[in-house]
Amino acid sequence: MPRYLLAKLSLLLWLTGVIIAGIAMPMVPSPERWFELPIIPALEQKARIIFFHVPMSWTTLVAFIASTVYGIMFLKTKKLDYDLRSVSAAGLGTVFCVLATVTGSIWAKFNWGSFWNWDPRETSIFVLLLIYGAYFALRSAIEVDEKRATLAAVYSIIAGVTAPFFIFVMPRIMTGLHPGAKGDEGGSTPVAQLHMPANMRVVFFASIIGFTLLYFWLFSIRVRLARIESSSEQS
Amino acid sequence: MDFLAEHQLYIVLTIVLIIWVGLGGYLLRLDGKVTKLEKSVKK
Repeated sequence: MPRYLLAKLSLLLWLTGVIIAGIAMPMVPSPERWFELPIIPALEQKARIIFFHVPMSWTTLVAFIASTVYGIMFLKTKKLDYDLRSVSAAGLGTVFCVLATVTGSIWAKFNWGSFWNWDPRETSIFVLLLIYGAYFALRSAIEVDEKRATLAAVYSIIAGVTAPFFIFVMPRIMTGLHPGAKGDEGGSTPVAQLHMPANMRVVFFASIIGFTLLYFWLFSIRVRLARIESSSEQS
Repeated sequence: MDFLAEHQLYIVLTIVLIIWVGLGGYLLRLDGKVTKLEKSVKK
């Protein structure tokens, strides 16, 4: 029986609600009822991606920052458990990053005409994936636990510092296709400045909260498994 | 069936929900198995 079963069931139910609301809330030209969403010109039904794609990107950032924080804590305490946490967070961050990239790419095909456009945000997420790919390459190249943990922790700090820059800063200082890019300060869609109708905002933030909690659940499973693995290797 | 044919968004929703329920159930089972493993390692 899983620990905190009720909390985990509630999270699954919460995310089920987000999925139902995100996909099924009808889009009408002039919404009157609480469950109706406005039709956003040029996006239409494709606007629903905001309920899933943006929370995935957000979770990526949470995971990469967590990896950095655990890296710092490892360097301070030299406890290998922090290294396990750091690598687990980085792994999950990469998974969510890939998911955000794939969902965004499929969406781009139908909205911008091509799967990949080298838009600043696409380029920055690609570079971020390379940076974290190198993190795992670095880890796999070192056999001694302490040495691997120290080098990986230092690298995770450098990588973690670049993550907010690539996710928040670079896409905003250059012109691009994504909402919120340079020259699109007002936001060509309601998404850029979070100028969303109240019901859309509720679903959006419910999704952000749900995805963040899902990350913490997945993180706990990964860390517990990594601990079992390392204790069985030692014995 | 006529309803689903007219509202294709609900077909998408049904498929996504089936996948989600499967994934959620799998996660719960995995979590339970890790808890069991932790207990057996502690012994």
